[in-house]
Amino acid sequence: MVKVEIVNGPIDFFPPNNNHRQDGAELTFNGRVRSTEHGKNITALEYEKYEGMAELELTQLAEETVGKFPINDLFCRHRVGKVNVGETSLHVVIFSKHREEGIDSLSWFISELKKRVPIWKWAILEDGSRVPSECVH
Amino acid sequence: MINVIVKCFSQVKYALGTHELAFELEIGTTTMGLNKLIREKAEGKLDGVSLRVAVNQKYVPEETVLYDGDEVAFIPPVQGG
Repeated sequence: MVKVEIVNGPIDFFPPNNNHRQDGAELTFNGRVRSTEHGKNITALEYEKYEGMAELELTQLAEETVGKFPINDLFCRHRVGKVNVGETSLHVVIFSKHREEGIDSLSWFISELKKRVPIWKWAILEDGSRVPSECVH
Repeated sequence: MINVIVKCFSQVKYALGTHELAFELEIGTTTMGLNKLIREKAEGKLDGVSLRVAVNQKYVPEETVLYDGDEVAFIPPVQGG
């Protein structure tokens, strides 16, 4: 199963689930906002999305990941709008029978997300100015 | 003539100072031709920035013929996560 959402506001984490009796691995990834960007201190990142296309690409990617790897469930919430330093911008949970395919699929999913889902970051600097982020990691 | 809308994000929005532009173009204009117009409008601020192109919210090849009513976006490197 795939569940994907882009939210404007704090992310509600998917709760641990003890009903996945066929799955030996539950992987959770939380991407958080760091305090520095290219050596400059920042107070927050502001995420911008291409409304409609971002949701479409993220859903297609999640479905592609579940088709490509032997995993059972992929849940993802991505936050847009202003995300303060330390807060979570990306939350992914994957359930799989074995650890290895879960880890591989998580890594691939996030790498692809960073290549094709039309979401961008603006860095909010300490003086309050807002510039396009230079980070592509 | 055809009318298209260009949605601007991130570095493109920053370079052009707007989130949306409207263009009236010759019939047969391609995304490559529109890309050139956008870069000219940016007066050098998009030099060296690679831009993928989406038409009606789908990635398309670099040279794609545009039609009346199309929504176009020149997509700078994405940064989700």
